[in-house]
Amino acid sequence: QPSWDKKWPFWTMSNLQREVQCLPRGLCRTAWGLGGTCVNVGCIPKKLMHQAALLGVAMDDAGKFGWSIPGPVSHDWSTLAQAVQNYVKSLNWGHRVQLQNRKVKYFNTRGSLLDRHTVRGLDAKGTEMTLTARNIVIATGGRPRYPTHVPGAREFGITSDDLFWLKESPGKTCVSRLLIWLPGSVLLVFRHVVVHLCSSDLFRSSQSWLVVGASYVGLECAGLLAGIGLDASVMVRSVALRGFDQQMARLVTGHMEACGTRFHWGCVPTSIEKLPSGLLQVKWTEVRSDLERVEREDTFSSVLWAIGEREVGRERWGEEVAVDKMGRVPETTGLNLPQVGVQLHPDTGKIVVATDERTTVSNVYAIGDVAEGRPELTPTAVKAGKLLARRLAGQSNQLMDYHSVPTTVFTPLEYGCVGLSEESAESRYGKDNIEVYHAFYKPLEFTIAERDASHCYVKVVCDRAGVQRVLGLHFTGPSAGEVIQGFAVSVRCGLTYAQLRDTVGIHPTCAEELTKIHITKRSGLDATVTGC
Amino acid sequence: MEVLVHFSRMQASYLTFRLPVSLVCVVRRRMASDAVTRFDFLVIGGGSGGLAGARRAAELGATCAVIENNRLGGTCVNVGCVPKKVMWNTSVHAEYLHDHADYGFEGAQAHFSWQLIKNKRDAYVSHLNQIYRNNLDKARIQTIQGNARFTDDPEPTVDVSGKKYTAPHILIATGGHPSTVSDEDVPGASLGITSDGFFELESCPRHSVLVGAGYIAVEMAGILSSLGSKTSLIIRHDGVLRNFDALISSNCTKELENSGIDLWRNTQVKSVQKTEQGLNITLGTKDAKDKDAKEKTDRIQGVDCLLWAIGREPNTAGLNLSQMGVKLDPKGCIVVDEFQNTTRQGIYALGDVCGKALLTPVAIAAGRKLAHRLFEGKAESKLDYTNIPTVVFTHPPIGTIGLTEDEAIRSWGKTSVKAYTTSFTPMYYTITSRKTKCVMKLVCVGKEEKVVGLHMQGPGCDEMLQGFAVAIKMGATKADFDNTIAIHPTSSEELVTMR
Repeated sequence: QPSWDKKWPFWTMSNLQREVQCLPRGLCRTAWGLGGTCVNVGCIPKKLMHQAALLGVAMDDAGKFGWSIPGPVSHDWSTLAQAVQNYVKSLNWGHRVQLQNRKVKYFNTRGSLLDRHTVRGLDAKGTEMTLTARNIVIATGGRPRYPTHVPGAREFGITSDDLFWLKESPGKTCVSRLLIWLPGSVLLVFRHVVVHLCSSDLFRSSQSWLVVGASYVGLECAGLLAGIGLDASVMVRSVALRGFDQQMARLVTGHMEACGTRFHWGCVPTSIEKLPSGLLQVKWTEVRSDLERVEREDTFSSVLWAIGEREVGRERWGEEVAVDKMGRVPETTGLNLPQVGVQLHPDTGKIVVATDERTTVSNVYAIGDVAEGRPELTPTAVKAGKLLARRLAGQSNQLMDYHSVPTTVFTPLEYGCVGLSEESAESRYGKDNIEVYHAFYKPLEFTIAERDASHCYVKVVCDRAGVQRVLGLHFTGPSAGEVIQGFAVSVRCGLTYAQLRDTVGIHPTCAEELTKIHITKRSGLDATVTGC
Repeated sequence: MEVLVHFSRMQASYLTFRLPVSLVCVVRRRMASDAVTRFDFLVIGGGSGGLAGARRAAELGATCAVIENNRLGGTCVNVGCVPKKVMWNTSVHAEYLHDHADYGFEGAQAHFSWQLIKNKRDAYVSHLNQIYRNNLDKARIQTIQGNARFTDDPEPTVDVSGKKYTAPHILIATGGHPSTVSDEDVPGASLGITSDGFFELESCPRHSVLVGAGYIAVEMAGILSSLGSKTSLIIRHDGVLRNFDALISSNCTKELENSGIDLWRNTQVKSVQKTEQGLNITLGTKDAKDKDAKEKTDRIQGVDCLLWAIGREPNTAGLNLSQMGVKLDPKGCIVVDEFQNTTRQGIYALGDVCGKALLTPVAIAAGRKLAHRLFEGKAESKLDYTNIPTVVFTHPPIGTIGLTEDEAIRSWGKTSVKAYTTSFTPMYYTITSRKTKCVMKLVCVGKEEKVVGLHMQGPGCDEMLQGFAVAIKMGATKADFDNTIAIHPTSSEELVTMR
């Protein structure tokens, strides 16, 4: 029985095995390797497939740059999926080697807490073991959530956990039907308008994916599917990218719409059935106003659940029911947490933590997606873990700072940001006390490619008083992730508007637009950049 | 007089609108100085720096004129950054086309049409020329077409095609041009072209030979090679970009060779002959470090494009500067102080003609700062020439700012300098057969580890640098980098997770 290690006196439960249940449609059965969500079903496969989607767009552009592609081009999902999966497996192995090199003992077992110092492990063969430790860190992450109120959701739909491990792209052909249901109080004349509005959807193309939810996961999945030439629709209950700057969110979805992704706004799914043809028949309610609802249905080859935070649905007419408060479910079941005194948040089910990542049990810590109120992002989890390890080893007392966390949404038009959204800055400081600088710019690579650049935009939100400290910085355009990182360092150093403007630009790049920004929203002047 | 009347009327209508009192003064002054047109600000050179200065001055209420002997926009727009980046983007597509199959796309085989991209590039450049023209018109800045020459008048005065212009503030922003080699030094040298000529090529050369190891040489070599031209690069020493950090110099040299460019080290062009099959270029190779080595002679045959990329020179010829008391340095660049003042009162210079930081945004910023100093009374308005970020559009691109490691050691001593380096394969290339590395170096000094230099080469480094440049200019330390949360998965996150 292992005892406390002197150098690293704690056990983490992050790497204990997670076994994915047999998928509803029998597509695959996956046992993840080391690396968690990011490596297996998150950032890594997502970004690789996003790259594939960008290459799809690049192929259209290539013609404008003088490259003519004579033959028809098709995309083979299995080639891409195989390459992605091989890379993920190499990372799994890399993590395993690193654990070994650092003399971290690795148990491939399912763990639960017996008391504040004891973990019981149970592996796949049913062998039991008991581990004791001075400190215990819970980093079990989360999983995508299926809606509970939609019949057929779990049986016929998949989530982002499954998408990257599909061996084949789902089949083609689908027919479309429409059904309108209106409450009696709505006038007949209105009905005609509705019929007219909806009929444009009657003749749909084939090989269609429906992504439910416009969280960043949902939009990224829809974007990569569209990029490799598949038909993607997104169903949105209310707004896209909740929690992000909403002007930026509209630019992101606007760009996707302009590129052919269909958005069903104000829609809530009600059921999924499988037709004899193998296609999925999805029924949903479109809420057009308090009085007007339309029941609609359509068929898709696949349905992917990517419900964001706080999706509130209406199960029945006039009766509001809160469903699925959070998008992702924390992996806390079976850990026996409440029994040993680790408190879970009543709404989210996540582990309640203090600023030093401590749970309600003083020697038990929680980091990453499983911890309440923490951003669901890999780098924050990594950093929080490293800082915690140093504190526990007595090397430092530095706490994790969760402010000014930069992030990037890898949609077809990437969106990177750091700091506050315009809305949060407004509510925190007041509309009169912030200055918003903005510009619509045209990347040089869009000019020759004759691409629509109307969604390429930069915005800097500043405190209006004194030195005009930068509160938030937002960028949509190519390579947003690479652009924003450096600005995040400068925001951390206390960036002011003057310092931003005093830096010489790099010409011709997209990133330089942030240093050239000078039109305020308040001025009402045209914010379109012209010339160099 | 006809001209004077015309200008007076134009100025008058403008000034009436603004300030009727000064109108009277302006007209009176004009009458006195006989056929010399007066402005508040006269700019020689309609490139990035000159246009930015003139426009800002006009915004601040000055009457301005810009003298240009060629197309508006200068080097950047016509034969520099803009058309170069268009060609770089074009060549990036060549790289993507190699990767399509690895990412699951079938049937993406392409033929390249140089003519198509050249036409589109030219059309875009003309479009920009027009935008500049409109911007000047909107700002009511007079555009004067022709060559400027300072006259012998006691007050600094410029003559363009026989007409005289003057202003209390005259800015020289004439830029530069590529250096050439004379036929006396290298017989047949004039059979070659420069980067200016590159933008006139009507087809993709089958075999290109480039001479030079600077950023223009490596950019042009990368573009030509990617677009399918057999490319040879002739360099005098062991590596390219020798004034960059050693990491970048060695990595870029390696990348050029890996991409299939035929690199001739320690080599110089001896002579060029024209034949029916193209140019025959005779090369002499001798390792300067090896004193006893004999020069080896080689010949490259059938070359259809010889491109000299051996540096740039200031455009000062014909300005008659020697008569004006405007001092030039030994290389012919105009000597200016930190406020862009030349040695003659009332004459200023900025941009490439000063030979320092030959970059569009530097000239633009310097022009605007000068305008604020001259026309807004901001006596301290000047450009800070330290920590200027630069990107070289090689394959993959290079980003650099601040001091190289060697420079930092020279200034602070070896013990106070700490360099962090990393080298990795970006995620994009993990599933491709074509591989490229990304290398990065942070140069830090002192106990607080202030970041004084950042040097990197790799995919995405072009867009990566700008934000870090802001942070470095603010005086960021290694700890500030470390305390910034990474963005995953990107290449730039490596810069905030360096150990």
